[in-house]
Amino acid sequence: MIESAHALTLTDRRDRRFGWLMASPSLALLFLVILFPVFWAFYTSLHDYTLISPNFDTFTGSANFIKAAEDGQFRHSLWLTTFFVVAVVLLEFLLGFLVALALNKVERFKAIYYAILLCPLLMNPVIVGLIWRMFLHPNLGIVNYLLSVVGIAPVNWLGSTKIAIWTVIMVDIWHQVSFMIVLLLAGLSALPREPYEAARVDGASPLQCFWRITVPLMRPVIIVTLLIRLIFAVKTYDLIYIMTRGGPGISTDFISYFIYRTAFVSLNIGEASAMSIILLGIILALTVYLYRYMRSLT
Amino acid sequence: MADIVLDRVSKIYPNGVPAVREVSLDIKDGEFMIFLGPSGCGKSTTLRMIAGLESISAGQLSIGGERMNDVDPADRNIAIVFQNYALYPHMSVAGNLGFGLQLRHVPKAEIDRRIKDIATMLGITELLSRKPAQLSGGQRQRVALGRALVRDPKAFLLDEPLSNLDAKLRASMRTELIKLHQKLGTTIVHVTHDQVEAMTMGQRICIMKDGEIVQVGAPMEVYRNPANTFVAGFLASPPMNLVSGRLEHDQAGLAAVAGTARFVLPPALRDGYAAQSGNAVTLGLRPEDFHLSRGNVKLSQAVPVATVATEVLGPEVILVCELGGNGGPEVMVRCPRDFSASPGQPLTLHYDLSQIHLFDKTTGKVLSRPSLI
Repeated sequence: MIESAHALTLTDRRDRRFGWLMASPSLALLFLVILFPVFWAFYTSLHDYTLISPNFDTFTGSANFIKAAEDGQFRHSLWLTTFFVVAVVLLEFLLGFLVALALNKVERFKAIYYAILLCPLLMNPVIVGLIWRMFLHPNLGIVNYLLSVVGIAPVNWLGSTKIAIWTVIMVDIWHQVSFMIVLLLAGLSALPREPYEAARVDGASPLQCFWRITVPLMRPVIIVTLLIRLIFAVKTYDLIYIMTRGGPGISTDFISYFIYRTAFVSLNIGEASAMSIILLGIILALTVYLYRYMRSLT
Repeated sequence: MADIVLDRVSKIYPNGVPAVREVSLDIKDGEFMIFLGPSGCGKSTTLRMIAGLESISAGQLSIGGERMNDVDPADRNIAIVFQNYALYPHMSVAGNLGFGLQLRHVPKAEIDRRIKDIATMLGITELLSRKPAQLSGGQRQRVALGRALVRDPKAFLLDEPLSNLDAKLRASMRTELIKLHQKLGTTIVHVTHDQVEAMTMGQRICIMKDGEIVQVGAPMEVYRNPANTFVAGFLASPPMNLVSGRLEHDQAGLAAVAGTARFVLPPALRDGYAAQSGNAVTLGLRPEDFHLSRGNVKLSQAVPVATVATEVLGPEVILVCELGGNGGPEVMVRCPRDFSASPGQPLTLHYDLSQIHLFDKTTGKVLSRPSLI
């Protein structure tokens, strides 16, 4: 008994060693391209590191973090990003759920609807930004032309500080809503049919069925969809870079773009790193919650 | 009053496939009616039409004298128990039981009282706070039944409610359902493909095939007088032996002949079947109408058989043998538990001629005959 148990651990150990050996190239690569930059950014955030004097000579501790927290523009960007994220996630969810509910009842040509819906999702955000920038051009864009046809005055979609953020929100919804639709539709079509029949006999109206059966049964799918979309929305960068460059003024200056500007326009890598670490903390917290929630479902 | 009357009710799906064809049936108030048939025979569709979950393509359905064709399922005041129980997975057992009452705006205190009563009756009181996923198949079955009972409906529709349970649990639930019906006296329509359930539970059985009713009657009536070879071959286990043969006249009188086996019909039957003399028929011979000895069978016919195999079931032995000797058609015979025979062994059995059934060879319909005692 003891001998065999001993032999087993030996084999186990050998297996484990072999496993590490096989995994080491990818682990090394992961360390190199993900963990190392993160640690490097953290290390940089603790120093006065600028692109004018790129060295770690001056250790500043938490000074960069305090500076970032006290920076009105950084706080503005955080607030703007929060507003954008809440707006796009909520609107995309409402629109997506509505379309998913409708599509769930469709029997014919489902594949065609899917194909149409998936088109925006397959496009690169840079392309999406470019196309919409052209569509929304104040003088040459097709959107303003169509508005003029029905007698509506041209709108300065990307040039007005009040409208620009809503334009970005609208384009993001156009681009990402199909993601919501596809996920929610998958959830809806996986719901069991029988409880609905039982509810019909029990006397539930379609609205009662929706609130008392569909929504509770869809809860896990809804939460996972919302969280995934939330995490992606926080990182929005390419759309802003192409469409507004944070402008006009700082009216669409989202956090990712603001960090980019701090690092490569203001050349202050140390402070930008501190901001990145703060953003990483926020996203990490969301991810941990998502992971925990998904684990709790199984 | 909850008479359920189906008058030439049909269901044709949008793709033109007829699922139920002109079904007419009168289910009496308080009756325990069984819909029996193989899968795809339209029995579940008929039940779902009664529930209102399927639209009726033609014909009329009335419950308690009122036309129900276009009435919403919720307003028919019937309850249905589904094969997969269809419990609300996100609600507790108490939530499942109370949902229908909540929707009907029954006061909370009354809902609690009814849930408690039903839970006590079904022995699920300690499960009330659990979710369906935490219950066993039998417990879910009880909850589904409770959900139907709690509403105190005019009729219960049970769509194969026992088919997902293991054999032992199925047997005990069968008894419980019978007891429940005796206690409540509510109309029950029970769909099943299990002939044991049909025989043991129902006051009447409605046997369906290919969307049509084949025969309706009390279990023993259907068992004794099957309307055609389908019913004969569907009821009881092992079912009636159906053997091809013909009616012949010889010096002993009119006889049904299958291979080398001859069954000389008793004088009382001869007149009834005389017109069919010379025709090809199907003989219906129940396994329990063969006897090892003549005993006190009044009208017996000695039949030589050759043993093929024996199946020991415990309380009895099923003898598989070739009728008339080697090479004859295979039949099953019910024998006492102490019976044994080796393969190939020739035996002489005694058949009770008063129980013989003859069916038309082409249509499969029973040939009418005068009743014998």
